[in-house]
Amino acid sequence: MLGTVARRLARFVAVLVIGGLLGAALVRFAPGFGTDERMLDARLSNASIQAIARERSDGSNVVSYYLGYLGRLAKGDLGESVSLGRPVRELLAERASTSLRSVSAGFFSAWAAALGLVLLLEWLGFRPLRMAASLSAGALLCVPAAVVAIACFYFSGPPALAIAAILFPRIFRYAQNLARHAAEAQHVFAAHAFGESRGRIFWLHVVAPVAPELIALAGVSVSMAIGAAIPVEALCDSPGVGQLVWQAALARDLPVIVNVTLLITALTLAANLAADVARGARGHAE
Amino acid sequence: MRRVAIAFLIAVFLVVLPAEVVAPYSFATQFRDLPNAAPSHAHLLGTDALGRDRLSRLLFGARVSLLLAPAAALLSVLLALGLAFLAALGGSWWERAILAAADLSLSLPWFFLLLAARALLPLNAAAATAAAVTFGLLGVLGWAEPARVMVAAIRQQLRSDFVLLAHASGCGRGRIALVHLAPHLAPVAAAQFLIATPAYLLAEANLGLLGLGIPEPMPSWGNLLRELESVSAVAANPWVLAPAAILILVVGCFHLAVSADKRVI
Repeated sequence: MLGTVARRLARFVAVLVIGGLLGAALVRFAPGFGTDERMLDARLSNASIQAIARERSDGSNVVSYYLGYLGRLAKGDLGESVSLGRPVRELLAERASTSLRSVSAGFFSAWAAALGLVLLLEWLGFRPLRMAASLSAGALLCVPAAVVAIACFYFSGPPALAIAAILFPRIFRYAQNLARHAAEAQHVFAAHAFGESRGRIFWLHVVAPVAPELIALAGVSVSMAIGAAIPVEALCDSPGVGQLVWQAALARDLPVIVNVTLLITALTLAANLAADVARGARGHAE
Repeated sequence: MRRVAIAFLIAVFLVVLPAEVVAPYSFATQFRDLPNAAPSHAHLLGTDALGRDRLSRLLFGARVSLLLAPAAALLSVLLALGLAFLAALGGSWWERAILAAADLSLSLPWFFLLLAARALLPLNAAAATAAAVTFGLLGVLGWAEPARVMVAAIRQQLRSDFVLLAHASGCGRGRIALVHLAPHLAPVAAAQFLIATPAYLLAEANLGLLGLGIPEPMPSWGNLLRELESVSAVAANPWVLAPAAILILVVGCFHLAVSADKRVI
């Protein structure tokens, strides 16, 4: 068990370092790297434009930039934002709480709504209601996340509501499929034949067997929630990390992009690692 | 339902492909005396803030998205197919390396990377270049999920009797891949293509709404949806919702078309 956790932690660190390098490389080798909107300003002299180009060329060698960045990161220095002129650490610290609030509220609301509805539908066992819920979730899946964010903003809803609306259909459909397969399994028919109570069959033979898959889905849905936060915060004007990501992308701000890539990758990997460990622990307990 | 969905998709393709013939005007023609006009006989969906016919822009924009999203999906599936064959037939080192790369790719926040890479296009990039790069990035970044599915499918096929017989008959790896495995992978590849296409349509719409999709004046579903950002415009002109409604219908039809193929995914 400890060996597995150590292996997973080593893999976590390796993926994180490689992920950050890939993020930096993708940005560095994008065709417009090193250009700045200010360079199109006709009022600027050649000397000013060259100065901006020099300022922008910092980080042109992606490996040396990344190694330097990792060295500074070890000392707790995340560098300075090119576009906002402020330390990245400060920017992340002041925006993290807003994102954490909206992402966690959206995540837990989506899970509560999806699981509650799946449990209710399976308990009631009313087929038309199940189909209606499935169709509604399917329709929500077809709406772009950014349109959901705009609708939420239009009706003065909090960003967490938009994140929940984006996550809900994905969690609901997967959980419903799992519950359906579990409810139709042979051992459930056998339990019915042995005269077990409905509640016992439901909790022990339907809900319990799908728990490992639900834990894995929880890990994946953290990454979905983080991804959803980018358009939601940008379009709902919520001052979180998602909005910072969007502003950094528009401003071609390499220090912010590399830091946020590492942060988001770390959160995604940590969620998946926690889900894997929880599944493993459950397997050992059984 | 699947047949209705496919029929609807075919009808949409048949209408938008000859957009030059079907659309009443060019997507760039401006009626400067008619900005934000309500629907009329001349402009069935009204005009936008620059006086451009909304229906014409919808037809041309849908064509751009409906041609490039499948092209990006095809790129993803071909990349995935090539890598899956390499993983399955190239030996355990290749398999471990490709599956580790797929895991790494799936761990990365791909929408964020797409956003970052798309934002770094040259400021003076032509609209056509931006469109090609946007969908090209979607295609390249989306290889990992289909590759995982295809590696699993190839592994399953490699254990089958006909492949064992081919091995025993002295067939080389290339021949086994092309002659014996590829035909059996076609349904899996088709299902992955149908899954990726609506995902890329939605991704382009999201990028467009964030101002990082295909730049003006070329229309696409993403930049047509930007009209939704103005709350007052939506309330006063509900017909600006038409591109969103058709996008949702098209994506829904792709989902319905693929749902019947779940057995091969």
